[in-house]
Amino acid sequence: MSNFRQHPSSFRDEAGFVFLKDDILYRQVNQLYAPHYQRAVTSGFYQFAIENNLLIPHLELQENLTGTDNWYTTLKPEPVQTISYPYEWPFDMLKDAALLTLRLTKEALRYGLILKDATPYNIQWFKGQLIFIDTLSFENYQPERPWNAYRQFCEQFLSPLLLMHYHQTFLHPLMLAWPEGIPIELTKKLLPFRSRFSLHTWLHIFLQSHISEKTRHKEFHKVAFSQKKLMRLLLSLELLIEKLKIRDSEKHWSAYYHEAKERGDYLKTKTAVLESWISKIQNIHTATDLGCNTGEFSLRCARKGLHTLAIDADAACINLLYRKIKNESITSVQPLIGNAAFPSPGIGWQNKERLPLLTRIISDVTLALALIHHLAISANIRFRQMAELFRKICKRFLIIEFVPADDEKTLWLLRHGKPLPEDYSEQHFLTAFQKHFKLEDSLPVADSGRTLYLFSVTP
Amino acid sequence: MAPDFLYIDPGSGSFLVQAIIAAALGVAFFFRNIMGWIKSFFIKPFKKKEKNN
Repeated sequence: MSNFRQHPSSFRDEAGFVFLKDDILYRQVNQLYAPHYQRAVTSGFYQFAIENNLLIPHLELQENLTGTDNWYTTLKPEPVQTISYPYEWPFDMLKDAALLTLRLTKEALRYGLILKDATPYNIQWFKGQLIFIDTLSFENYQPERPWNAYRQFCEQFLSPLLLMHYHQTFLHPLMLAWPEGIPIELTKKLLPFRSRFSLHTWLHIFLQSHISEKTRHKEFHKVAFSQKKLMRLLLSLELLIEKLKIRDSEKHWSAYYHEAKERGDYLKTKTAVLESWISKIQNIHTATDLGCNTGEFSLRCARKGLHTLAIDADAACINLLYRKIKNESITSVQPLIGNAAFPSPGIGWQNKERLPLLTRIISDVTLALALIHHLAISANIRFRQMAELFRKICKRFLIIEFVPADDEKTLWLLRHGKPLPEDYSEQHFLTAFQKHFKLEDSLPVADSGRTLYLFSVTP
Repeated sequence: MAPDFLYIDPGSGSFLVQAIIAAALGVAFFFRNIMGWIKSFFIKPFKKKEKNN
């Protein structure tokens, strides 16, 4: 009865926990949370939030699957395809996650509930959009109590967004350095002077930091608060966040169009080969496009019916892709910032609370288009190491593009005199990959000198 | 980091902060509403005229 496995990231909340049983994900609601759960059900909040795509849908099962004494009920949430973390999200995605959190807080208030913690780790990508996944994050609202999650919201969402907005730079790695949120005091120091002239920034960062420093050793048990005050606070945060933006880098779009124009035949042939291979191979459902750039080929895979992870180290590219997915309501491409040479690590308790990237991107087909010269030259990765990596994340097929030593992009990477690795040749490439894969097909890409290879995983 | 910092609950300090910020926002939104009324008082009649034309 009790052969369940508690999810390594689900231990902080006494309200319940997520566990796996027979490879199915469940969420247990503990007795302690029963009054809050009852309110969320009977008030119609869960129904409203699920119908409006704010909260992950779940089924309630009246069965104690864990055998624990404090069991109240069991929920079976719809599974999320690929878990991702805020340090892998581009600016616009984090901004939308912040706005979703604020909207959910406001909606919950209408049902007599409040969001008890505001962290982007409670938000995931689900069917082409962001959705809140922690069903037990709502508790009965007491109007005289201020918002417990206010500071957390400021540090987890507002701080990184403001820093990125004022510096016009993608700073997602900061969220990896401060997984609990960037401290307000630090944000204050890192923001430029002109940010003080924004009323809402001044209030939520500068004034907050000032007051908390002054009152560090004092206790305030009775602070008068009301729903009206809370609504003002939420409105202020919303007004501020809605205005934050990161400008499109002209260079990314123009470089892409330039390449498309210059190498029209190249892109056409590459697309045709890719599409014919994907149509030919049977029973594949998921794809990972490593080094996807602005996601041109990820979108092609999605059109062929594959749930595709579009990964690139360039945050500006992923931001553009995210915006495209959002504007065109594309449901089967998930954008993610990631670097094959420096994948995000496992962090948190026992290094298991937030899982390493490479364990989350395993899929039926892996695409590595125009990637290997970057890995070989910029990160000094050898072909045998690449083959080992792809074998780890690839369940069935690998579509990989060989970029020769005399390719203009390879030469560009070598322009500062860095020597090309000795074994950088098509022959060495094939030898290394055929240790782990079986060669299925290969086709030259127009007259670019590049070759596309289709490999299958050897048992 | 001061050693005693580790024992302070970051949530409790933020309660006073929220009360102060919410009060400041009360004043800010009050003036914003007044500005909104003034703007709509002057702009509306012109808009109606434009529509009639």
